[in-house]
Amino acid sequence: MKYSYTSARKKKIVTPELQLLFIFFGITLFMLFSTYAFLLFKDYRFLEQSRDIVQKRFDLNISLSSMKSKITFIEKELALSERVYTQNTVLKDSIANLFDLVPQRITLSEASLLKNGLILYGITPSKDVYNFMLQAPLRSIFHKNYSSFYPDKNGWLRFVSTNYIEENDIQNYDLKSEDLEEQDTNEGLE
Amino acid sequence: MKMNISRQNLYLLALSTFLLIFVLLFSFLLLIPKGKEYREQRTELNKGNVELRKYQDFNEETLEILKKLQSDNGHVITAFDNTFNAARFEKEHKNYFNTLTLSKLEKSEDEEDEFSVYEVQTTSQINSPKSFYDFLDAVNKSSWIIGINFPINFKREEQMIRSSFTMKVYSVKRDSNTPQ
Repeated sequence: MKYSYTSARKKKIVTPELQLLFIFFGITLFMLFSTYAFLLFKDYRFLEQSRDIVQKRFDLNISLSSMKSKITFIEKELALSERVYTQNTVLKDSIANLFDLVPQRITLSEASLLKNGLILYGITPSKDVYNFMLQAPLRSIFHKNYSSFYPDKNGWLRFVSTNYIEENDIQNYDLKSEDLEEQDTNEGLE
Repeated sequence: MKMNISRQNLYLLALSTFLLIFVLLFSFLLLIPKGKEYREQRTELNKGNVELRKYQDFNEETLEILKKLQSDNGHVITAFDNTFNAARFEKEHKNYFNTLTLSKLEKSEDEEDEFSVYEVQTTSQINSPKSFYDFLDAVNKSSWIIGINFPINFKREEQMIRSSFTMKVYSVKRDSNTPQ
């Protein structure tokens, strides 16, 4: 038997207010936690990336120092080869100058080119020819000149001419040529 | 005045307050410091990336220089790496001489920093000094770095000139570079 027209409201554990509260805080907490998780993930990624950067810089440093040492070595090779090539060219010019120096009337039988001197053996028609045509230019080049003569069968004279440059002058010449080479290298680098 | 708050509303209020405090605490104690840290790390990482880029650019520039040096001076580099071969030398340069004889390769006392220096005594016969000049030009283009050294002797022998001189052969120092 019914005493009322309205039926009794069903009682729920989660009321609509509580539901609203849970939804609101649920969304809020979800957003907070997901932001925090994103930050944690980023933190981990940053750590990985910075480790990667450190490793790459280390590798680059190694490769850079290896390349630098290679460059230095090649530059040393170039400097040495230039020195050798220049010496050869200078030597060629010196020998050419020597042979140009000898007049047609004098015949050389032997020539020894030393680091600090020159020894010539040959035949001359007379001492005067030797003195004016060969001795004079040799004197202008060398500091010490010694000549000795002895007669040949046909009335000509055999001679031995020994000529030396002072050691200091050779050193100065060497220093000058090294300076020139350095200058050339610097200009090349610029 | 007496407030009439139902027990259910009281629980609701307590729960809301608790959650609100939790949210505030979580935000201010964890989330905001972490966010700041994130920004700092991001700036730091960007700086690191910029520096790395500079390093990479410098590395590339150095590599370019090295490659240019290697390509421009290939002949000199190879010449230093080559081990002196007397037979090959004679074959390459015999055109300049009527006869050419090389003595055994000997290690020189004048050592350069990172290079081995070997000496070869050479005797030869030439027609005219011009052959010797041509030989000196050819030596500068040969497969080895060779310097002609004093003393140099020229001696007339009938129609020929006998020449004898010392050659210094320069090569890169290494254990396996045994002269032939």
